[in-house]
Amino acid sequence: MPDPETDVASVAPPPKFEPDERWVPADERWFGLDRRTVRPTLAVFALAFVMSVVLPVVDATVPYHDIVKAGDVLELEGDVTFVPEAGWGITSGLRAGQAPLSGEYPATATVEDGAMKLTVRTGQFHGDANRLLDQIETTSEALNHGRGVHVTGTPTTIVTDQGKQGARVRVTGPHTAGIIAAFVFGGRGVEAVATGPSDAGAEPAATVMRMIRSISQTGEGKQ
Amino acid sequence: MTTATLSELDHARDVALDRSGWGRRFVFYQPRNFAFWAYLLLVGIGFLAFISTLAREYDAYGEAIGLAVWSFAIYAALFWWFTQHIDHYAKLPAKLMVVAFLWGGFAATAAMAANANDAILSLDGKTFGQVWALNWGPGLAAPFTEEWAKGSGLLLLIALAPRQVRTAFDGFILGAFIGLGFQIVEDISYAMTSAGTQFGANQVGASIGVIVLRMVSGVAAHVLYSAIFCAGLVYLLGRPAEPRNVGRGLLLIAIPMLLHGTWDSLGAIAGPSALKLIGLLIATIVVAIAILVRVYKLTVKREQDFVRDVMAPEEARNVITAAELYAMAGNRKARKAYRKANRTRRERKRARYVLNAAYALAEELAAARGGDTDQVRFARSEVARIRAGVPSQW
Repeated sequence: MPDPETDVASVAPPPKFEPDERWVPADERWFGLDRRTVRPTLAVFALAFVMSVVLPVVDATVPYHDIVKAGDVLELEGDVTFVPEAGWGITSGLRAGQAPLSGEYPATATVEDGAMKLTVRTGQFHGDANRLLDQIETTSEALNHGRGVHVTGTPTTIVTDQGKQGARVRVTGPHTAGIIAAFVFGGRGVEAVATGPSDAGAEPAATVMRMIRSISQTGEGKQ
Repeated sequence: MTTATLSELDHARDVALDRSGWGRRFVFYQPRNFAFWAYLLLVGIGFLAFISTLAREYDAYGEAIGLAVWSFAIYAALFWWFTQHIDHYAKLPAKLMVVAFLWGGFAATAAMAANANDAILSLDGKTFGQVWALNWGPGLAAPFTEEWAKGSGLLLLIALAPRQVRTAFDGFILGAFIGLGFQIVEDISYAMTSAGTQFGANQVGASIGVIVLRMVSGVAAHVLYSAIFCAGLVYLLGRPAEPRNVGRGLLLIAIPMLLHGTWDSLGAIAGPSALKLIGLLIATIVVAIAILVRVYKLTVKREQDFVRDVMAPEEARNVITAAELYAMAGNRKARKAYRKANRTRRERKRARYVLNAAYALAEELAAARGGDTDQVRFARSEVARIRAGVPSQW
């Protein structure tokens, strides 16, 4: 059994002097900075600049053209579809029959025409269309904190071409007006948010309503 | 053992302590270090972006955010414990690991990778179409944006702590902490997104699945990728205690990028078959963990050598036995064999305590740069006390 008291631990050399962690050798100083830290830092800055500035700027300068042709149908998660207006641009979402390899369509699709914009979103929901509209209002108010668009007026009924009854309500914001419509197909809720300039004429509004009324669920349609 | 041999051993200890940086203090506040300001700026931007998102969405998704933050805080604590558990050797200062964690959590995510990911995915959609972007966009973007955003943090950490970050294993451990920070913040963001998938209703139900899935899959995700990547980065750059090995460095950088790309493309590779997806998921996790273990064994060897060099004079001076030195500088199997060599349960327990006290002595020796301080003498006396079975008076 070794005895720690034996032998001489003091034989070990005394600790060598090491300069303070913040000390910089005189020949490595550059405008008060440690010059050895400049190159790696600039490399990281360059990477951050490319990621946070260059790539977003390049993206913003590249135009996107995916124009709706007559007969196009957009499909969302849960077999929900709607017919976008020919000539509008698809900024997100997939055409029916062009599913990704995973087989799952995204939950959101957006089409735009100038300042007019329609976003359709689906998700699980248990309740009727009025409850879904209430839920959408509650969540939107909580997210917007009183800014952006807000609900004005009372909910009214909207019926799709498929005969599905939903609820809708008008929304207004600074220089913006629109509607939010809600439908529930079985356990699947669908939210459609259309916004545009408050002085947009009757024709764009009719176009938006036509697209909202085209919302359907494949399963329901077959029933 | 001759005096000359002891001198040689002491000299070897000095060299090991100097080369490894073991026991050196880390000071974060370094106003003359350019990396310090870059770190503050990028972590600050990321922190503000994350907190403003959290504040903006809290009123709507408070329940899910609360659940996610608590769940992932516990998850992070467990990972932290595990990472400490596997690092028996020349340990890095805890403060440095916190700095690494914060880089991964705030700078690498919100200040860097998130912006790049959005832009690249959008460009993919514009160039190749939305379907292609959904199939292959994430798998081709994230390995470059996220791995390099996380890995670049190690460059700053080396500039901030050149005396401490000395080996590929240091890169491995710091990379794991960078990855942990990234993983936790990303998981909280995913939980927030999932809370809105049912229009803000049933938030807990909507997000719990994502939280559990992220926890399970997280074992073989960012922590693992960054640990391997950062070990590779150290090999690529070379450090005072780790000779440059460009080939190995590039390989270890490429492997996690490939794993990450595969992971993000599993949905597209598997197709609509859920069974195939689960099979591929498990296979990817198994392969990733096997590679991680291999890289751990590869990098830890040098750290074990440092422990041997630092404690060899203690063995020569009979503070510890040859078997204890072998166990200390060995792997888990060696430590287990050392304990099992004792016949009774009480002896095995004592052997474990002796080993822990010997590791504490190694830490004190490192902090004293091999000197004979009061702390070192006390740590030596603790090894002797536990070996003799004398109760502690403290």
